[in-house]
Amino acid sequence: MGRIWAVAVNTIRQALRMKIAVIFIVLLLVLLPALGLTATGDGTLKGRLQTFVSYGLSLTSLLLCLLTIIVSVYTVTSDIEQRQIYTVATKPIRRYQLLLGKLVGVVVLNIALVTLFAGIVYGVVVFLPGFYDASEGTLRQIDNEFYTARAGLVPAAPDVDEEVAALYNRLERTGQLREAYPTLPPEQILRELTLRKQLEKRAAGVGDGLVWEFQNVRPLDPDQSIFIRFKYDVAVEPPNGLIYGRWQIGDMRQVRYGMNFKTPIWPEDRADPVRTFREIEVPARVIAADGYLAVGFLNVPANSTTVIFPLEDGLEILYKADTFTSNFIRGTLLILFRLIFLACLGLLAASFLSFPVAILFCLVIFFTGTVSGFVLESFEQLSASAWQVYSYTIGALVRLLPQFDKYNPTAFLVPGRLIAWSLLGRVLLLMVCIQALLLLVLALIVFSFRELAKIVV
Amino acid sequence: MDYAIETISLTKVFSDWWGRAKAYAVDDLNLQIRYNEVYGLLGPNGSGKTTTIKMLLGLLHPTKGHALLLGGDGTDPKINRRIGFLPEESYLYRFLNARETLDFYGRLFGLAPNVRKMRTEALLEMVGLRAVASRPVGMYSKGMARRIGLAQALINDPDLLILDEPTTGLDPIGTRQIKDLILKLAERGKTILLCSHLLADVEDVCDRIAILYGGRIQAEGKVEELLQQSSRRQIVTSDISDEAVNRIRGILEAENAECEITSPMEKLETFFINTVVEAQQQARPTSGAVSTTQIGEFLMAEKSQAGILDKLVSASASDDKPVEPPVTQRIQPSEVPAPEPDRNLLGELTRSAPVAATEQVGPAQPSPSEVAEPEDRKVRQGVLDALTGKTPASTTDRPHEEPKDEEAGHG
Repeated sequence: MGRIWAVAVNTIRQALRMKIAVIFIVLLLVLLPALGLTATGDGTLKGRLQTFVSYGLSLTSLLLCLLTIIVSVYTVTSDIEQRQIYTVATKPIRRYQLLLGKLVGVVVLNIALVTLFAGIVYGVVVFLPGFYDASEGTLRQIDNEFYTARAGLVPAAPDVDEEVAALYNRLERTGQLREAYPTLPPEQILRELTLRKQLEKRAAGVGDGLVWEFQNVRPLDPDQSIFIRFKYDVAVEPPNGLIYGRWQIGDMRQVRYGMNFKTPIWPEDRADPVRTFREIEVPARVIAADGYLAVGFLNVPANSTTVIFPLEDGLEILYKADTFTSNFIRGTLLILFRLIFLACLGLLAASFLSFPVAILFCLVIFFTGTVSGFVLESFEQLSASAWQVYSYTIGALVRLLPQFDKYNPTAFLVPGRLIAWSLLGRVLLLMVCIQALLLLVLALIVFSFRELAKIVV
Repeated sequence: MDYAIETISLTKVFSDWWGRAKAYAVDDLNLQIRYNEVYGLLGPNGSGKTTTIKMLLGLLHPTKGHALLLGGDGTDPKINRRIGFLPEESYLYRFLNARETLDFYGRLFGLAPNVRKMRTEALLEMVGLRAVASRPVGMYSKGMARRIGLAQALINDPDLLILDEPTTGLDPIGTRQIKDLILKLAERGKTILLCSHLLADVEDVCDRIAILYGGRIQAEGKVEELLQQSSRRQIVTSDISDEAVNRIRGILEAENAECEITSPMEKLETFFINTVVEAQQQARPTSGAVSTTQIGEFLMAEKSQAGILDKLVSASASDDKPVEPPVTQRIQPSEVPAPEPDRNLLGELTRSAPVAATEQVGPAQPSPSEVAEPEDRKVRQGVLDALTGKTPASTTDRPHEEPKDEEAGHG
């Protein structure tokens, strides 16, 4: 351990004294406060805060990612190319200890820098409203929508498999299937039918109602508000663009048995424009003691159109599940996980490539990782077509790609969404314990068996 | 019999990208170096010396055959613990200073903090870099870096020392010091593998040598056996009268033998060291390495490993200030065989480069210390210039950097 630590300390010294880290540190120290002054967003205080958090954290993350790649690659390749490795590797230290020492050094450096810069961003975010003469209402709004960590619950997709199977069989029997879908393969037809059925369950005809049930709604504080966030879609455009809805929110099980209400049922009649996100604020008291909550919607006859809640984002319950601070810390940890992954990637690349090639290799992986959603989707499409072999070979590798865009902390912090511990655990498991560890083991194997005195050209 | 270093048909073939053999760097090499032997590996550039060393230490994998170090594998930490290695150039971390460098390598050996500190200071003292120990190694001249490289190879008090071109870039005093150190360490039972193409160095210290060419041993054996000219004899006498010389000449002519009678020349190395030692006694300031002929005390301690450690621990625990290593060997002018500087040689050297006279009228203003210099010092300065092939202008420009410049000239 003493040897690993000695190498780690040396790596940190190298990063700092060779001015690699210093450039990035100075850049961030200048840019972050400057951003605090210049980021205005849509002009409102909330917009300012959101823009700053978004730019500040993205910038910190990007620059530290680049720094990590450069330092982890440089610390190994420079030892080999400038041959300090001759004196180090011939000391009583195993090669894996040497590489682990480098990793520890890079990670410790990252922890320090992430803490420093996230601290600066946090400080600016917390103190920024103090510089503005914000009204009570604005402050309340940013408290509810920004300085919060709201969990979002979406209703589970209804199980429509049986109905779909029945429909499919009926259509096939009557020969309508080939008529309606002349070219599609059976799986795709099933998928289409499933979507259609599910959408049916989210549609309310004139005078009809819909009820969604949620379990485990656990707000941080029972005295606060929860929010029903929804978006209407319609079959026929209403003349004034508004939909009238009658909402009932609470523990509907009480109604069924005619008991006295233990928790209130919150009624709300409102008119909202179509295809726009709206939020209903409801006191958290309506949630039953066991975390149960039902949301009912009645499509009042005045609308004269079927109202549809779109499948992916038609309805959601939002409630403050944690404080902004702890959410911010978890966001910072997401960045750190990303850096640990990149450090392992850098070490792997440096274990068999020369400096410029290794850097290029890491950058390609990094940028692919930041658009992983797009990459994965395109491969999904490939595997759906005839390219089965392709998807089993390259596809397996693609799944090893890091998904930086999916676990981007700003995507959570800007709308004040909760980064759940479970999500953090999942990222830790996937990105650090599986992907990064795999890279590290590969790096250790390659580094242990390569000829260190052989210069890679 | 056990060997400190043994290679069994060690072969290294460098191949091109397609795997076709391009060059046989080392070809079926069988080395057997005994314990407590100073072994010199000689050869021109590219003869496979360094490749052999890299294979011994596991930095390169042999194409065929294998190498044993201290009866084990050169990559095994248990073996590495007992080895000191100085590569062909001192590959050091440029961003560390000398003290940090030695401390870092000490940590890699897992040395206890007080032992590490004590040895670091002793080695800094020994290689004469204590005064500049807090300067980054990247700013050092080649010779100074070489000294730190040597110090790092000694920090673990190794049983086997592998030195690849140890004297490149060093001034003659540094060279002499390394040679003395090698002899001292050999006396203490260490094994030393010395790779060099500086023949004089090897000749002075090695018990046995091998000459490598094309990755194969071309000649191997004890130095005196290889070099002795059995068909010739040499007689050295004290200063005898001309009459005696003539009588000897008569005897030899009667034997029908060729003979040549001259006064023996002092070795240039000895002369140079005398000169610099005298200058040091006048305490001339220098920005380079301070050449001492001291050797780290811990290296000179008794053979028993436990004994050394106990001594080191107790030494540094008893008082915190760095232990001053006693002078184990100092070359005094009086000890050197020919105490009087050879006037002929001096005259010859000064004539070959007429600098002593032009120094005072040179374009650059001499510094005050230069003016206050004694006259004979200036003559010697001229000799130094002649030795290093410097022009007089550069001498007066940088009057305080003699050792550094000499190193550069030497390397």
